[in-house]
Amino acid sequence: MSVTITGQSLMSEVLAAYPGAQRALFRKYHIGGCASCGFQPTETLAGVCGRNGNLNVAEVLAHIQSSHEQDEKILIGAKELAQWRQSDASVRLVDVRSREEFEAVRIEGSVLLSQPVMQQIMAEGANTRPLVVVDHKGKHGLDAAAYFMGHGLQNVRCLRGGIDAWSQEVDATVRRYKLG
Amino acid sequence: MNDDLQKRIQQAMADPKNLGEMADADSVGTVGNSDCGEMLRMWVKFREDGGRKIIDKASFQSFGCETAIAVASLATELIRGKTAEEALALKTEELAGELGPLPPMKIHCAQLVEGALRSALAPQTAPAPVSAPKSAPTLLDSISNLAASGGKITFLDETSA
Repeated sequence: MSVTITGQSLMSEVLAAYPGAQRALFRKYHIGGCASCGFQPTETLAGVCGRNGNLNVAEVLAHIQSSHEQDEKILIGAKELAQWRQSDASVRLVDVRSREEFEAVRIEGSVLLSQPVMQQIMAEGANTRPLVVVDHKGKHGLDAAAYFMGHGLQNVRCLRGGIDAWSQEVDATVRRYKLG
Repeated sequence: MNDDLQKRIQQAMADPKNLGEMADADSVGTVGNSDCGEMLRMWVKFREDGGRKIIDKASFQSFGCETAIAVASLATELIRGKTAEEALALKTEELAGELGPLPPMKIHCAQLVEGALRSALAPQTAPAPVSAPKSAPTLLDSISNLAASGGKITFLDETSA
């Protein structure tokens, strides 16, 4: 990691270094979940800690880093996922990108996360059926994975590097793209 | 948050009681603060006891902070054996039980549990979901907006050609 995160780091830098930081802060300290307890990207980590009961910055940073390590365990590499799908037909891929992106390129057999799909997943309740979240580059899928895990799904993973990694490591016919 | 409270929350989190959906529930209540990315659902099953209709068991499902889960865990234990009226008479701070007094920033976690309980036991008195003014993106935004956060798609094999 090129940037060392400290108490004086901006929250934008904290989130860039640890994409799951907002979720980690919310889960333990109830910071950043809503408009009333949220933070701005231009605030420093120390500033956020200061106006939330003077939290110990080092402790908060350690929690963010520990959560990040846990996030790493949820991730699954593209090649490993390909092998898993071959050996276990029950693995389902849920794509959390936009409909436009999904219609442009997708991993065969994946489904777009829509309201009906979300309702169907939730209606199944707690279970151990494998579910892998797919996003574009692996930056946002962890939040969705955490959401499903929070609802009792016990076998949720997230594709490391997203569909972009799948294109490079498993199936070159899935065209790579950029947004903008 | 003080260390003692954090320890008690962690203890409750280490072995949460009554977590998960109840298939044969008599009543279900849901409360959510969409701005907080926080949702809590509670299931209640009643039984007859000496002519009284009391809560036989209750369970919950939650996505959110540890405090809400810890309070829900304690509250579902606390209301067993009580009538709906007795359970509804419990104050927010009583639902938090052995967690003790919650700091101001955590009180709405307990209120969330109270809201889910009211929604399950007396839906007509359940409070409307709280909605704070929007300023910064929220947790739920980050999930629900993923599907809408695209942009113009440019294939890399076209730009490199």
